[in-house]
Amino acid sequence: MKKDEELLYGVIIFIVLAVLTGAEYWMAVATRLWAALSAIALLKASLVLQYYMHLSRVTSGDGGH
Amino acid sequence: MAAHTAAAPHADYHSKLGNNRLGLWLFILSDSFLFIGLFVTRFYLLGGHRPELNQILGLIVTSVLLISSFFMNRAEVSIAHGDRKGFLNSTLITMLLGLTFLVGVVGVEWPLAGQHFGPDTGPEGAVFFMMTGMHAFHVLTGVLFLSIVYRNGRKGLYSAERHWAVEACTNYWHFVDVVWIFFYPALYLIGTVAAG
Repeated sequence: MKKDEELLYGVIIFIVLAVLTGAEYWMAVATRLWAALSAIALLKASLVLQYYMHLSRVTSGDGGH
Repeated sequence: MAAHTAAAPHADYHSKLGNNRLGLWLFILSDSFLFIGLFVTRFYLLGGHRPELNQILGLIVTSVLLISSFFMNRAEVSIAHGDRKGFLNSTLITMLLGLTFLVGVVGVEWPLAGQHFGPDTGPEGAVFFMMTGMHAFHVLTGVLFLSIVYRNGRKGLYSAERHWAVEACTNYWHFVDVVWIFFYPALYLIGTVAAG
């Protein structure tokens, strides 16, 4: 993958994480849907594991870049 | 024969890379059990209640850590493509954001929370200070790790082909972020503030 594409990926994931964090805060203040908060936390963690930590590299053995 | 000896170190590095990655992930897995224990303790001791904390400050420190993860990712992508300057700049920003997070939690949030409870005044304080304290300690070690990687980067020890230390540091930093992804709602958002 080209550098610009990888950087763009990073930006997109960051924006999604920021929106989810905002939604999390709003949900806690306005709706108090605790189950939804847990689901958002799991989704955020999955995104970081997959796109920032490159979990799949452990089994694929590639350079990742 | 000469070609064989020249290629050998490169092949050796890549064969070790797989083991290094597996070892790092096993470390992360073992470390995560500590945080899972603290997470479960929070719900066991406090249930549907949460400590009285400054919501805005919680959102600010969470945002700071999130932004630091973004720059950490940029640092890794930069060095993977041979952009040493971009790598150094992003690493430095990540370090500064990590220190900002520490100041926000330990320097500001702890004294504010201390007006309502202390580490030894009951389950609320014990849970809050243990969870944030253990996490802050990991952020601190992450900043130290980053400073070593930054210093080595300035010396030109990393290249597009060889930057395992940067990858390890990046994963450790993101792991600390993942922990906070769960700690933030557990401490600041889920539950109601206990009366009195």
